[in-house]
Amino acid sequence: MNRPGRWWAHATALLAALAMTGAVSAEPPAVLDFTPDERARILRHGPWPPPPALDAGNALAGRPEAIALGQRLFFDARLSADGRLACASCHRPAQGFADGLPRGVGRSVLARNTPALWNAVHERWLGWDGAADSLWSQHLQPLRAASEMAASAAQVRARLAGDGDLACRWQQVFAGKVDADDAERVLVGTAKAIAAFVGTLVSARTPFDEFRDALARGDTIAAARYPLPAQRGLRLFIGTGQCSTCHVGPRFSHGEFGDIGVPFFVRPGVVDPGRHGGIAALRASAFNLLSRWSDDPAGEAALKTRHVQAEQRNFGEFKVPGLRNVALTAPYMHNGSLPTLDAVVRHYDQMDPDRVHADGEQILRPLRLNEGQRADLVAFLGTLSDPGAGTWRPAALAPCARPKAGPGKP
Amino acid sequence: MKRLGCALVLGAAGVGTAWAACGDSLPAAGRQLLERGGVQLVYAPQGGSVPLGRHFALDIEVCTAAGSPAPALLRVDADMPAHRHGMNYRSTLRTLAPGRYLAEGLMWHMPGRWRLIFELAGPPGQPVQRITHELVVE
Repeated sequence: MNRPGRWWAHATALLAALAMTGAVSAEPPAVLDFTPDERARILRHGPWPPPPALDAGNALAGRPEAIALGQRLFFDARLSADGRLACASCHRPAQGFADGLPRGVGRSVLARNTPALWNAVHERWLGWDGAADSLWSQHLQPLRAASEMAASAAQVRARLAGDGDLACRWQQVFAGKVDADDAERVLVGTAKAIAAFVGTLVSARTPFDEFRDALARGDTIAAARYPLPAQRGLRLFIGTGQCSTCHVGPRFSHGEFGDIGVPFFVRPGVVDPGRHGGIAALRASAFNLLSRWSDDPAGEAALKTRHVQAEQRNFGEFKVPGLRNVALTAPYMHNGSLPTLDAVVRHYDQMDPDRVHADGEQILRPLRLNEGQRADLVAFLGTLSDPGAGTWRPAALAPCARPKAGPGKP
Repeated sequence: MKRLGCALVLGAAGVGTAWAACGDSLPAAGRQLLERGGVQLVYAPQGGSVPLGRHFALDIEVCTAAGSPAPALLRVDADMPAHRHGMNYRSTLRTLAPGRYLAEGLMWHMPGRWRLIFELAGPPGQPVQRITHELVVE
């Protein structure tokens, strides 16, 4: 390529990249006249990253050898009954660890949208209905569900034992041979190792974080690099839109549940009870944080499980998702019924309060935005993505070196 | 210090905490004194303030005028009046000493104005008495 051609290619690539971040605008760089109250509200969405978190009740969380085993298992379809489905089949790295489908597809089409896994370690409850109180207990659900991986404990143990590298890694983590262990313990250990890996998926900083921190330190030059449409969208988000009432804090979620008027019929005559069913499933679970399988059943993390209460309004409530990397994880809502972020904004723009529980959240009102405001909100949401998330690659793992038996050991 | 000593002595005597000393044994940070119908209730959030989005506990003391027994604290709850919903968690209450309680498991998941609700046993044949206090968490 000649030099002008190369220059043009670079310029085009740069413009394309800027356009993707919303940085190309007809408006000159500037910072909106945010009031002190608005600034305070904006600052509450950071800093990012937050202090590290570990999966509750999981003694493997944070251990490098367990994370390596979990990464291997996450991508291994042999864990499923028919050898066709891995965790990564539905939680695809290139799609924000979601799958791009309205509803997940395991051995059949599932009832709900596949949740993204970024920052899941920071969530209080897992799943759209919060039926799991830890990452590891959540991972047992798709492993065992007949409609998903349909794995049995005995089958998982046999497959681990039959793979030299996995068996070696297991021994590194658990200091015992996998085929000598109780099958159910192997299944739980598998889920905890996968959770240790998933717990490492914390997204990096975003254009919003750069803006937020620039505001915090009073750096208007840096803050002005944040596109004006995104600033206007942010103002709506924290202001008249009241979005930040539920999408609060650095993760942009309060981690609880709400009814926002999305229909909860799975098919005619069949409803998804949402959080109401989730609390019942949580309490009935043999693998919750109060169970013998938790590595810390009396600890602080189990407080939520001891104190959670079911209310009638929980029926049809679904988890308020965090918004980091949201642009990567279309379609949206618990049933994947909204294909784009624009459709999500339109949902709130035109929502019918009569479709929301009478005893549910009373602040939901149709936003009634104009076209420009809707575009601004979408522009803002687009700045919540980690630029590197779409190209995430698993860590290269060295072959497992089986621990050598010391002198005198069998 | 003098008032604290008085509270401890009366508490140990089992007649409920004296009015003048109510809550002095609780941590000073974030301590709030509420009063209704001849009953004083003092609470202090552990950690000094009520956090947003994290479970918290309240140290509580209920007092009446010296000599009269303090009504039993039955329940601690909270709601968001403007949103017309409460917490997603039910607190548990432990009696630490006569008139002294620890409420655990509360959690305020949304920013905004919350109302703490303390339910106290009423006199025989009378309804439960409520003492409330509104707080804004951000």
